[in-house]
Amino acid sequence: MMNVKMRNWLIGAGTPVLLLTAWWLSSENSTDPFFPPLRTILVRFQELWLFEHFQSDVLVSLGNLFLGFAIAAAAGVGIGCATALVPTVRWMVDPLIHFLRGIPPVALVPIFISLIGFGTEMRVASIALAALFPTMIATVDGIRSVSNDLMDVARVYRLSRRERLLNVLLPAATPQIFSGLQVSLQVAFIVMIASEMLGSSQGIGAMTLLAQQSFMTADMWAGILLLGVIGFLVNVLFGLLKHRVLSWYIGSRRMARAA
Amino acid sequence: MSIRQLATLSPRPRKSSMAQQPETRISTTTPRLDVAHLAKSYGSGEKAHKVIEDLTFTVDAGEIVCIVGPSGVGKTTLLKCLAGLHPASSGRASIDGRAISGPPAEMALVFQDYNRSLMPWLTVRKNLILPLRHLRLPASELKERCDSALAAVGLSHAGNQYPWQLSGGMQQRVAIARALAYRPEILIMDEPFASVDAQTRFDLEDLCLKIRRDFNMTILVVTHDIDEAVYLADRVVVLGSRPARVLKVVDVDLPVPREQITTRSLPEFARQRTEVLSLIKRPA
Amino acid sequence: MKPSIRPLAFSVLGIVTALVIWQVLAEARVAGNALPSATTVFANLASTLGLGSFWSSLASTIGIALLALALSAVAGIVIGLLVGSFESVRYATLAVLEFLKPVPPIVILPLAVLVLGPTVEMSLFLVVFGCLLPIVMQTVDGVQSTDPVARDTARSYGMGEGEILARVVLPSAMPYIGTALRVAAPAALVVTVVAGLLGGGPGLGQSIYQAQAAGDYAGLYGLVIVLGLLGLLFQGATRVAERRVLHWHESYREVVP
Repeated sequence: MMNVKMRNWLIGAGTPVLLLTAWWLSSENSTDPFFPPLRTILVRFQELWLFEHFQSDVLVSLGNLFLGFAIAAAAGVGIGCATALVPTVRWMVDPLIHFLRGIPPVALVPIFISLIGFGTEMRVASIALAALFPTMIATVDGIRSVSNDLMDVARVYRLSRRERLLNVLLPAATPQIFSGLQVSLQVAFIVMIASEMLGSSQGIGAMTLLAQQSFMTADMWAGILLLGVIGFLVNVLFGLLKHRVLSWYIGSRRMARAA
Repeated sequence: MSIRQLATLSPRPRKSSMAQQPETRISTTTPRLDVAHLAKSYGSGEKAHKVIEDLTFTVDAGEIVCIVGPSGVGKTTLLKCLAGLHPASSGRASIDGRAISGPPAEMALVFQDYNRSLMPWLTVRKNLILPLRHLRLPASELKERCDSALAAVGLSHAGNQYPWQLSGGMQQRVAIARALAYRPEILIMDEPFASVDAQTRFDLEDLCLKIRRDFNMTILVVTHDIDEAVYLADRVVVLGSRPARVLKVVDVDLPVPREQITTRSLPEFARQRTEVLSLIKRPA
Repeated sequence: MKPSIRPLAFSVLGIVTALVIWQVLAEARVAGNALPSATTVFANLASTLGLGSFWSSLASTIGIALLALALSAVAGIVIGLLVGSFESVRYATLAVLEFLKPVPPIVILPLAVLVLGPTVEMSLFLVVFGCLLPIVMQTVDGVQSTDPVARDTARSYGMGEGEILARVVLPSAMPYIGTALRVAAPAALVVTVVAGLLGGGPGLGQSIYQAQAAGDYAGLYGLVIVLGLLGLLFQGATRVAERRVLHWHESYREVVP
């Protein structure tokens, strides 16, 4: 038993190492302009991002990402609550929401560029608006699926409106809200890159696209690597947060499955 | 938990004057809970579905009344009307002469499904505190209320656990403790012991009797278990079905204190349960 | 007013209100030329609908999205069955899949454009890159969820491994695959647009880029509206298709109250 576990661990940890080694060795003497040696990519990675462009580009990109995402999260939960709780609002905005959700988020970027130019405001606004919908729709679904039994309890014990929203509806909806937030975060990341690639001279996306257009392939690879790592890390961090906030949900689900 | 331990639980201060003889029924001129010609139907016009037709009964202060009837008779609908969750279609339900129009402050309800009535994201203790928050009690009293309510249901050790970490019977005791910490004068329970095993059920029934004794509460229990109704109640309201109406109110004259083995083996117990059973089994 | 009509009335009211606000803001020229009025946009859209170039862009967007989706589905299911059936393969691919899963295709867009140029192949490659992994991972989950009793039963009836895979494992993984495809279909459309908009691949994305670059704001808004409707269509169609194909599965059976 122990042996099988050990073997799986070895395979799991060994394969990525093996793949990276293979990439390193096979690209070592590469003269292919598209696929420079991994060594060159890593050197450029270190030169570019640690720390020459760290402040001017990496921090700017991440700042826009988190600001846009934070606005989307707060507004998404807020508007979602209003939509879920007030039928009139729901009937009025429902078709609009579904239509706006159908638009590929990146297609909103040109509109924002035409409206407010190429600046930081445009990038944050694009990220926020595009990332708004997943959270908002998940919040509406989450609140509307809170069981009537819990709401009866809240009413019998005469909880105030505020308490019902903050202490019953929102906590009960957190599993769905967090799924929505996770999708929002991914959308925010995509739109962050897109907003930088579409005519801007700052940010990781802009640097990467610029490197491609000027055939500095090692720089482009370094940008892709950094974006990949950021995408992965942001997702992991959010996963940790989600796991912490939803520990009650994960625990109760595990309990229910065991029963 | 022994009787001596129970004696240390302080009864509700406001009721202490009435608590000298907790086992005897206190007869007052106006009943605490008065249900008069209550009817409830869903929908309107020709498509109206009549669930309850003309129910009349009373519950006196300090009394345990059980409502029994075939399943699907509309017992839960009745309780929701009494708890102020649904408005009655006609007739009225009142507490101390005041008509019930919304959830009354002096009433607590224990729901049938413990796993759907406790908040899974809150620990047991926080579940107890949630209904007390808007009372703005001092921290010391909050703690005291939680401690005594948890002790009363024998869960002093489980305050920091989550409900879903506990067994079904323990979860239902948490739901009861939440009601106790709220210090209601009237406690309504909807098939509270339906989804627990037989041994737990006996324990919870005795807990119910103990609560009446210690806290001098007026208790209304809905059940489909006739033995349980006879064992617990001072009076049993027998409902007939579709739409629900009162077939008879049976006075239970069993000695107190009641005890699972001796009380249930009394010939009187058998006679009473036969009476209730024959009322229910009789074709309408 | 009848209660059943009220939601519809409010929905119409909501749409009309939004259009009126748009019109008023545009007439007030809050954003100058950059915010054309609703009437201008719809008039422009109506004339665009008569152009062959619009329809060929629409066709290539839909064509690329569907073709890439089909390629991803076939490859994803095959790879998923393979990875899910062998424990060692699963562990070997775990780290790589987990790393690549949250990386959107836009990240490798510069590389794809560099190697393949602004072509159909580039768009196809990006869409497959985006849709393949979710399908693989859901298929693996589906294979893992196969009832071991069903598998043992099949084995005791003398079915070979291949037959078990086709007759037992694949059907029980179908709901997972269905979910993956329902999520992947709108995503395929989105990535196709991204590939056109940022990478110059053919289709509506490219049209949007050209409209923006030329300052044709009415055309830009019209195209975004078309994309919104197209997105709705994709979401609706995949939902219906999923329900059709998976009607036998318990999670799709109507719950009897």
